[in-house]
Amino acid sequence: MSALNADSQVLAKGRRVALEQLFANYAPAERFQIGVSIAGLSVAVDFACFGLDAQQKLSDDRYMTFFNQPQTPCGAVALAAPAGDMAGFTCQLALLPATVDRLVFTAAVDGNGTMRQMQAGYLRLLTGLGQEVARFAFNGNDFADEKALMVGELYRKDGTWRFNSIGQGFNGGLAALVKHFGAEVAEEVQPPKPVEPKVSLSKITLEKRGDKISLDKPKTASGYGRIVCNLNWSAQQTQKKGFFGGKSADKAVDLDLGCLYELSDGTKHVVQALGNCFGSYEDVPYIHLAGDDRSGAVAEGEFLYINGKYFDRIRRICIFAFIYEGAVSWTQADAVVTLTVPDHPVIEVRLDSQGKDSNMCAIAMLENSHGALKLMKLNEYFGGHEKLDKHYQWGMKWRSGSK
Amino acid sequence: MSISLSKGGNISLSKTDPSLKNVIVGLGWDARPTDGADFDLDASAFMVNSDGKVRSDADFIFYNQPKSACGSVEHTGDNRTGAGDGDDESIIVLLDKIPADIQRVIFTVTIHDAEPRKQNFGQVSQAFVRIVNKDSGVEVTRFDLSEDASIETAMIFGEIYRHTNEWKFRAVGQGYAGGLAALARQYGINV
Repeated sequence: MSALNADSQVLAKGRRVALEQLFANYAPAERFQIGVSIAGLSVAVDFACFGLDAQQKLSDDRYMTFFNQPQTPCGAVALAAPAGDMAGFTCQLALLPATVDRLVFTAAVDGNGTMRQMQAGYLRLLTGLGQEVARFAFNGNDFADEKALMVGELYRKDGTWRFNSIGQGFNGGLAALVKHFGAEVAEEVQPPKPVEPKVSLSKITLEKRGDKISLDKPKTASGYGRIVCNLNWSAQQTQKKGFFGGKSADKAVDLDLGCLYELSDGTKHVVQALGNCFGSYEDVPYIHLAGDDRSGAVAEGEFLYINGKYFDRIRRICIFAFIYEGAVSWTQADAVVTLTVPDHPVIEVRLDSQGKDSNMCAIAMLENSHGALKLMKLNEYFGGHEKLDKHYQWGMKWRSGSK
Repeated sequence: MSISLSKGGNISLSKTDPSLKNVIVGLGWDARPTDGADFDLDASAFMVNSDGKVRSDADFIFYNQPKSACGSVEHTGDNRTGAGDGDDESIIVLLDKIPADIQRVIFTVTIHDAEPRKQNFGQVSQAFVRIVNKDSGVEVTRFDLSEDASIETAMIFGEIYRHTNEWKFRAVGQGYAGGLAALARQYGINV
């Protein structure tokens, strides 16, 4: 259905109106849509919906709906842009718990820039079928140095829902907005800061198993850019392999880097040198293994490249290292895995567990959590692919092979 | 106990509180706290005759003329930010001193410089007017009107008026465009 509607109501700034009245001539508003756009800014704009309690605070942060959390637990508000809008939400207000008194729709510039610099923007209400019912339009002249706006809100009043076009904001951006709605959430929306200055000011070393880091959401069209995972180790008893790659007899250390992956369409497979599953960077699975270094003599070690541009097509990746041959123990191999996501601190995992004779180590799990890259250190040791697969419930069939 | 009025409702002040002679009309509001231009709301009072007009400009009590010539109506001061709990501004009315030809005293709140600042009552919440017995400190009646205006820039909160031989209060909650100037003209002030 066309979004154009000559009968769409014009909502002036500050207008308060009952939803019932707005939707009077349309299908019942049990399920409707909010669409928002801001044009003419050179920086990205983040849109969010804050579900507030009667004190106008975000007492339950699960009711902040945004890129990292695309819907409320009740399903009443879900991130979904109507056709033609930069962002938006579907709303089924009847599903909201009574504790949520107000839904505030916000926009925040990400980086330099202020709302004054916009050309034009709007928030509109649409039927569930996409027909525009009402529109609150604004432009750069309406603002000064605000970086974050409360664009409009839906709120309960005397047992019904009303809409208020707001168009007011804060110079401090999203952080100021979040503080306005209750300060305790502020830390959770901030990307984690490097916390281990004793190792390196620019690195995060995950020391404990199970530490989770949620990286910021993709900033550009290329998503997370090129995510680089490197395995390097100090070779002991190193000896160069023969021209034909024959295996040396004196047990040079050969560690292999690889991963199990699961795509959003359910495809599951492995990327590793074994079986020549080197993957592909620009095509499925968007993961490429380069530089199988059998000796550890190549200073850079082995690399696994993950194409962040397609991170939305990836559900999870379990990065592992295994001892193809040679190394007696992990301690001896002295291996380090570093994971580099552009514009983020380097993450470093040291394979330093003692006394493990299992030849396979699950290093880290990368998960696509509603668009955000979540990384968890695993550092769990297994006696082979099949056992690792089973432990993380990948569900693939395994047979032995060699490279 | 204070009686809450809804829009359009009225109450007999004389019957509800027979001791009531001196009144504090308390007016309050919360402007949404953001980084845009400050909200400056002003309470005013218009003393009008049976034709609904002021006798002269002297019957318009506002920030530049805080006290009526007769001394019956007095504005206690301008609060420029709306900060703080309770009444933001108050007007004292001495009922016995109101001249006999004054029929009504109308209490309004307007947004200062609303147009250049692109402000209106839709950005104001928790607005109320209450009538307090100045001598006993007891609240007689109250009207919460936060939702009764949105894109308007002037609001009549309520009025005290003569009815036969008593004083009554009415919860009005009527909004107007054009701010204080438009409202003043309506009551016969030369602006």
